[in-house]
Amino acid sequence: MTAITVIGLGNVLTGDDAFGPYALNTLAAQYDEPDGVSFCDLGTPGLDLVPHIAGADALIVLDTVKMKAPAGTVRCYRKEDLVARGPTPRTNPHQPTLADTLLLLELQGLAPSEILLVGVAPERYDTGAPLSAAVRAAVAPAIALAIAELERLGATMHLRDEAAPADIWWEAVASTRAAAAG
Amino acid sequence: MSQRIVIDPITRIEGHLRIDVEVDGGRVQNSWSSGQMWRGIETILEGRDPRDAWIFTQRICGVCTTVHAISSVRTVEDALGLEIPLNAQYIRNMILIAHALHDHIVHFYHLSALDWVDVTKVLQADPRRAASIAEGLSPWRRNGYREMAAVKDKIQAVVNSGQLGIFTNGYWGHPAMRLSPELNLIAVSHYLQALEYQRKANQAVAILGSKTPNIQNLAVGGVTNAINLDNQATLNMTKLFTVQNLLKEVAEFVQQVYVPDVIAVGSQYPEWLGYGAGVTNYLAVPDLPLDAAATTFDLPGGVITNRNVAGVRRIADWNDAQFRERTVESIDRAWYKGSWSRHPYEEETVPDYTDFQDNGKYSWVKAPRLDGQPMQVGPLAQVLVGYATGHEPIRRWTDAALSQISSMAGAQVGVDALHSTLGRHAARAIRAAVLSELAPKHWQLLVDNIGSGDTDIFNEPVFPKGEIRGVGMHEAPRGTLSHWAIIRDGAIANYQAVVPSTWNAGPRDERGQMGPYEASLVGNPVADAELPLEVLRTIHSFDPCIACAIHTADPEGHELSAVNTVNSCG
Repeated sequence: MTAITVIGLGNVLTGDDAFGPYALNTLAAQYDEPDGVSFCDLGTPGLDLVPHIAGADALIVLDTVKMKAPAGTVRCYRKEDLVARGPTPRTNPHQPTLADTLLLLELQGLAPSEILLVGVAPERYDTGAPLSAAVRAAVAPAIALAIAELERLGATMHLRDEAAPADIWWEAVASTRAAAAG
Repeated sequence: MSQRIVIDPITRIEGHLRIDVEVDGGRVQNSWSSGQMWRGIETILEGRDPRDAWIFTQRICGVCTTVHAISSVRTVEDALGLEIPLNAQYIRNMILIAHALHDHIVHFYHLSALDWVDVTKVLQADPRRAASIAEGLSPWRRNGYREMAAVKDKIQAVVNSGQLGIFTNGYWGHPAMRLSPELNLIAVSHYLQALEYQRKANQAVAILGSKTPNIQNLAVGGVTNAINLDNQATLNMTKLFTVQNLLKEVAEFVQQVYVPDVIAVGSQYPEWLGYGAGVTNYLAVPDLPLDAAATTFDLPGGVITNRNVAGVRRIADWNDAQFRERTVESIDRAWYKGSWSRHPYEEETVPDYTDFQDNGKYSWVKAPRLDGQPMQVGPLAQVLVGYATGHEPIRRWTDAALSQISSMAGAQVGVDALHSTLGRHAARAIRAAVLSELAPKHWQLLVDNIGSGDTDIFNEPVFPKGEIRGVGMHEAPRGTLSHWAIIRDGAIANYQAVVPSTWNAGPRDERGQMGPYEASLVGNPVADAELPLEVLRTIHSFDPCIACAIHTADPEGHELSAVNTVNSCG
């Protein structure tokens, strides 16, 4: 069976950077996790990505991507796009993560052979802000792309019998508080 | 004529750390450290339930998740005067140890080793000679000829495929690179092995914390790991034995590979034991509490001022009055409104961005001060404090490391040499070795305590009406971390995190005193202003973690570091 890891990357406390975890948690709420597939909300782990990806045959990444396009634009990238440019000296452990991680894993013989990055152009990174409308509108199409990839790789996707609400705890608590204050 | 060099690592929306240095006559004459990002996490926490704060603080930084979670629960427990059960203390300690081992290994091999190691030279190495050198350095079982030859082949294959990627750091063949081809090969083989041990340490955290990178098992008042040694679903003997084995393997790697590698690299660059001291005031807080009330600790705390190691003032526990009362943050040179120095409880966070002004405001990082003094934090601070206060494992590992460096470098190297760029690397390796010895101790403490029939994991917090205040301290991998909270009627009224990289990377204060990064660069050599490798060496030795927030993948744009050199007169 193909081992597939689906990860959401980004900081949930800084506006549109929450896109990855938001989309991942929404996907996990709608669909059962098929055998051989794991859904992981990883935050911004830097090189700590390594242990979460090592050994997977295929990787699907949900993340914001800096691109020359309007906010909310969804674009897909493959492995060769990610490793095309060589990294440069880091000054802290957050810096270029995905490309470095993949190359480190390549040297270990543990890199996934298939990679799809579903990227969304962000609008704003305000601390504590919810997703912008443009990025929120990109969540459903991004999930559809991830599901198409999962199915192409041989996973059988089943909608959950009872739809669970997505665990977007960082927004939910804020709105509870707002409701209580109002 | 002097040259201004700007190292601005990230050109995307929210930048990270920017370092400016002025170089004249091949030496750094002046420097500025600037955090290029505003975080303002404090505002998110206002009004929230203090029992939830750790879930949010854990997301401040994607790399330092665990440490912000632990500091946050300790903060609320301190405010409540709430003790936690012994099991909870030991489980937290095991998580902190495993996380720190992981973090120190990643720092040396994957963040900073390439400052000293030239990967292209691996291709000139004789694997047989490399194996014989490595076997002379350490009894490590994976130093043989086969291992070395296989690594050389891998690097050759990567070079042939044109996929140099990770190693394309632009500093190959730099005149400041000096290891022999064989030492380069040894270092690269350990660089690859380090990935496996990083994973093992991470697995230990995942078993105890239920998950990584964001652990799930904390609570204000203890932990949520239900203990039943015979139950599959709880913390049981099978899981505990797995953790024990994982940490044993990591300990072997630290003691037989990481420590000898730092010594070997250090002995080839002895002049870096003379550069990079900077601020020689040091601060460390005690950690790894041994009892429920946190009165005794396995890691030492203390304050050293002005290089006077023998004159150390011990910080015995978390009630230390000087740290609690005399810690302030200055915003005189930071992009916040006004020009005050305030205690964390009294702070406000109102941004006031100007341009980068050499003589005005130039950073988003505030400047923490203890009794008006800048403090260097991190493993070096803790090792010096431990050495001065007679902490047995720290003394033993430090003396052994210094004597080996001395014999390899052919010159007497004493404790004083630790005030340096390489001293910070040595201290981090020493701290990792000490932690690797403490791991089985805390494992045994936990198992014995459970064996005595104690399965308590949680004391219920009760919030009083009115105002309470608390500080949570943790000696994190990058140094002293403290969270400060004011809780009013059971809700957070003010929350401030004073993080290690704030102490180290902060700007000047109202008295013009430089922060540790800045001061450590002045006087350093820079052989080639276009490739300021020496500046990176010193900054990396602190293990910087400024970002702690924004991350955006960037396959299209320029995520690359920019090094700009600007000629300027005068």
